Amino acid sequence: MTQHRQAFALPPGAPSIDQMIAAERRRARKRLWTGLAFMAPAIAFVAIFLLLPVVFNLYASLTQWAKFSGLNQFAGLANYQRLASSPKFFDATLNTMIWVAVSFVLPATIGLSLAMLLRGVKGEETFKSIFFLPRMFSATAVGVIWYYVYAGDGIVNSGLRAIGLGDLASRWLYESHLATPAMIVTHIWQQVGLMMVLLLIGLNALPSEPMEAAKVDGASRSQIFRHIVLPLLMPTLIMVTTVSVLAGFTSFDLVWVMGRDFPNRSTLTLSVNQYWESFRAGSWAYGAAIAVVLGIIAMSISWSLGALQHRLDKR
Amino acid sequence: MSATTFDLATLDFDAIARRNDQARTQRILLFAITAILALAWVTPFYYLAISIFKSNAEYGLGNPLALPTSITPVFENIAEAWSKAKMGSGMLNSLLYGLVGGGAAIFIAALASYGLTRIEFPGKGFWFMLIFSGTIFPLQMYLIPLFMGYNKLGMTNSRIGMMLFYTAVCIPFPVLVLRNYMAGLPREMDEAARIDGCSEFRIFRSIILPNCWAPMATLFLIQFTWIWNDLIFSMVLTSREDARSLMNGLMVLQGSYANTTPNVVMTATLLASLPSVALFLLLRKHFMNGLKLQSL
Repeated sequence: MTQHRQAFALPPGAPSIDQMIAAERRRARKRLWTGLAFMAPAIAFVAIFLLLPVVFNLYASLTQWAKFSGLNQFAGLANYQRLASSPKFFDATLNTMIWVAVSFVLPATIGLSLAMLLRGVKGEETFKSIFFLPRMFSATAVGVIWYYVYAGDGIVNSGLRAIGLGDLASRWLYESHLATPAMIVTHIWQQVGLMMVLLLIGLNALPSEPMEAAKVDGASRSQIFRHIVLPLLMPTLIMVTTVSVLAGFTSFDLVWVMGRDFPNRSTLTLSVNQYWESFRAGSWAYGAAIAVVLGIIAMSISWSLGALQHRLDKR
Repeated sequence: MSATTFDLATLDFDAIARRNDQARTQRILLFAITAILALAWVTPFYYLAISIFKSNAEYGLGNPLALPTSITPVFENIAEAWSKAKMGSGMLNSLLYGLVGGGAAIFIAALASYGLTRIEFPGKGFWFMLIFSGTIFPLQMYLIPLFMGYNKLGMTNSRIGMMLFYTAVCIPFPVLVLRNYMAGLPREMDEAARIDGCSEFRIFRSIILPNCWAPMATLFLIQFTWIWNDLIFSMVLTSREDARSLMNGLMVLQGSYANTTPNVVMTATLLASLPSVALFLLLRKHFMNGLKLQSL
């Protein structure tokens, strides 16, 4: 160390290396505190209101907590075992899986078709706003409107009667095999505009050279779409699918408003099941366990789609 | 395709005309398909718009898509919806939650993004991940602990409690966006001020913040709309009318009057949706920009 110091010819009166190191340390310490001060409010809010609850929820799911007692009685995995044998949870999971499966395919497909249809059509901006408009309504409001759309004398049934298909008229939200599909149609009606706009942004960002080159080479429109547009659009499509699946998966408001009076379990989803068990039945620990299951499914969906995205980026 | 070998005589004008015709019919066909779809899309809105002009008796009769016979029932419907769903206090609460929650969240997110992009200190990645992890859990995981915590602290049915939570839940996404945006702002802007001895907060306030209004306004619109439209947190954290949000009031109204006075419930639905829809129609560009932020 001393040899190094002698290697520098310090001008007289200049601070020594030690002093400079100490000064730099002070500055680094000051930067650390300033940086943390800027981030402190965000960290505090997120830690207290979001992360702490998640940890507490995880803990609560392992206790016997119900009706304001039993939080200190450890239950191990008993709540999860109860889940596994509950027919309600089974139905809720099944219905949620239907929501997930449909949200995987339909919103992105319909959104992409709309986006392709809208490109270059006269009045593109107006149409874009029309298809996007449902998204500006809350899921609560959409649920209320469509509750009447599906009513006995609502639009759907009167429309069917008007075109001579009156036999198909049903009590859509009250037939166990129709209720969930009817709600999913409503959900898609609300979400597809968002998917369309996101895909239009992706489409407009694509480079135009490969398509023009293919056109010159005499490729047909469907060939260009299949072999050039679709692969280039893949990252956007995966992003849109992630958004869509997570939205369908956790949708609560719509199901709550449209299907809560429903006597049997045909519309129950995990999020409604979770709310019901916790806030109506008072089985806090059990509700917390359902929330954990929801969290695990949501995270595995976004992680696997994220990994897919990552692999595509690498290629 | 060189112009020098161009020979007018070799051009088949009929073929060109046919192609043009074909392109035109195709355009008209595509327009027609789009228009029919759009019509189907707006039918529920049309239904909503006409139902508010119908009296209860008129609503019960005949075709749901028939035009109303007179517009006067709308005043009665509004009055009834307003008092039954306690829309006055609901609107004030939702406005308060949206403005304060959205505004505070974006200011706090801007502060954090400044720290993340302008100040060098160790452990930045960790703190960013901590904030960002607020986006990965489904909202259901917050419900029970929040309700219990708020209950213990006597914060259920409190406007302050609602604003605090909405602020927290609206922070992570803007941090993600503003961090990217601030990282793109040139360093020279603030380096000069720093050498002149400006404090970091001063640099943040008078140099960085004024350059971030555009994304911040867009983010505010997104978060305001989210808070305005939220139902579940108001359901869990408030039970009394004086603190509950507008959407919660609408849900309660629908629960008790859906089948007896549909016209009133529809009127309440339209009134509750009007603010966010009006914002969208007025500031469409900003919303679409917001979606660009989201797709980054």
